[in-house]
Amino acid sequence: MRKTTRTVIVTGAGGVGKTTISAALAIRLAEPDRRTVVMTVDPARRLADALDLHSLSNEPSPVPGVPGLWASTLDATASWEGVVQRYADPDVAERLLENHYFRAIADRFPAAQSFAGTETMATMIETGSWDAIVIDTPPSAGGLDFFLAPSQTADLIGGKLLRWLTGAQLPGRRFLYRFTGKPLLKIADTVLGGALLEDVAEFLLDLRTMYDRLAARASTIQQHQRRATTLVVTTADPAPVAEVLRFFEELTDVSISPDAVLLNRALPLAWADAVGRPVRGIPNPEIRAVLKANLALWGGEARRQATAMEGLAGRYGVPLLTVPWVAEPPITVDNLSLLLDDVAGLDPIVGLT
Amino acid sequence: MLDRRLLIVSGKGGVGKSAVSAALGIIAARRGKRVLVLAMVGSTGLASHLGVDTLAYDPTRIRPGLFGMAVDRSHALDEYLGLQLHITRSLPTRQLSNALSVLADTAPGIREIITMGKPIFEAWSDKWDLVIVDAPPIGQLQSYLSAPQTITGLVPTGAVREQAARLETTLADPRVSSLVLVTTPEELAVQETREAIAEVDAGRQILISGVIANRVLAPLGIPQDAIAALPDSPARAAGLLHTGLVEAQALWLDAIPRDDRRLPFLFGFHTTGEVAARLADILEASV
Repeated sequence: MRKTTRTVIVTGAGGVGKTTISAALAIRLAEPDRRTVVMTVDPARRLADALDLHSLSNEPSPVPGVPGLWASTLDATASWEGVVQRYADPDVAERLLENHYFRAIADRFPAAQSFAGTETMATMIETGSWDAIVIDTPPSAGGLDFFLAPSQTADLIGGKLLRWLTGAQLPGRRFLYRFTGKPLLKIADTVLGGALLEDVAEFLLDLRTMYDRLAARASTIQQHQRRATTLVVTTADPAPVAEVLRFFEELTDVSISPDAVLLNRALPLAWADAVGRPVRGIPNPEIRAVLKANLALWGGEARRQATAMEGLAGRYGVPLLTVPWVAEPPITVDNLSLLLDDVAGLDPIVGLT
Repeated sequence: MLDRRLLIVSGKGGVGKSAVSAALGIIAARRGKRVLVLAMVGSTGLASHLGVDTLAYDPTRIRPGLFGMAVDRSHALDEYLGLQLHITRSLPTRQLSNALSVLADTAPGIREIITMGKPIFEAWSDKWDLVIVDAPPIGQLQSYLSAPQTITGLVPTGAVREQAARLETTLADPRVSSLVLVTTPEELAVQETREAIAEVDAGRQILISGVIANRVLAPLGIPQDAIAALPDSPARAAGLLHTGLVEAQALWLDAIPRDDRRLPFLFGFHTTGEVAARLADILEASV
């Protein structure tokens, strides 16, 4: 029986704790009768150990100790191979998979890992066998690429270079001979040497035969993304905050509106208010002095966080939720499940009651 | 660290690369060097750490002896074609650069050669004693450092290949170039630093002249259980967070190879310009 799947996309800049929060959220969602899967991207070794993830694979495996939870780690190369096998004619697919640019593209095109992530997400949704899917996104462009990748990839494969060289129609393979005969390309050939340009053009030509099917796929993926719940994770540091602002500005173009911003490593504002007040209940004067001075530092930091978040809170009519800063990084399944316990307002957003 | 002509600063995203690049630039300029600090494509933090709104492709004067600039791809490409490959202007270079810009997105190594070409070109120039590169994060560093080899493997002849060979020689020359890695005492950052060091050493791509541990917390000097025994209050909670973080950091500080310099976590700084200036004061004695 096909299930109605709730998809939660966890996005944000690199280093803000996306992967940890994705794992914590998936643990929270999973129940023996609510099959939940989390797709991670590049988890730290101890987190991978906690989820029992030992290699890149798009195939989810059960997480020990959490009934109903499965996890996987994005394998971008395998996702791209899957795309080629599904959307290219068999002989083209074979040529592409052997082409030495293919792996390079899958590894290097800035949105390539993100596209692989979106494709894997869509495939998971379409199996109809999950109640909840949590997607950790590649950090490229502060997480924006995850939403822009479907159309960007279709554009790339649409053949900017080929269109420029040959006009709108899809040229035959014979065109390559004509094309290297052009004086302009002779220069390009001198600059780049050898047959590089011709190799690349032939490769792009093969990719371009997939264009129609891939463009259709891109639009399906975008529909899945619009139906999903999107959480943007940030810290109060200036760089991730700037990425969040950029995120909101550029996402309206693809009709995505985030459902919440999660401020990770948040400090209680009460600490800022307590600075300068007498410290009570600490009889030892030395300890009192040290803790008072320490509170002044952390209270100042809490104040700085509050100021930094003023620009974000309510700015786009999106709730700002805070995930407290904990000394012990949550790396076991038990710690992870505690991380989101006190995040007020999160449960209804992700469909928990 | 500051004695060579080219200093590349990299590290995991978010560890403070731009702040450290700016701080090293400030120190070198204080010592009377003519310094260019250069942000590679995608680095947005450098401008604010230098205390300016934006950086352009033309070097901007920040303070006496200190200049900042940002590399963007289309400028770098035009300059690469004109200055480094000596493409004559009578040809339809606009179209050629269109074609190359698509190639740069597609063919391995081309994009990196074009953007790395700029700081190296500046390092060769007599205008500067030192060029500091606020480089892409460590995850992409390898594709930049290995771009010359990638190109020489793919392209048998031609101007791009010759340029790639010059680039490779410059990076690998320990009298000219070195790499500094910035990390924080956290699992992922330290792991990535260790992997990067192993790869750079194995490929003998560039000399690593230092690893800087950033945002290091100082111990309070009070045992954690003495704090835990106190009645609940903000002072107790902040004390427990601090001592807990110090304990977690100690584990990763020990795991940082060649960790020769540490920078403290800076509390309560509101602008990034303050951060770089403060870090410069702290680093002054050790570089």
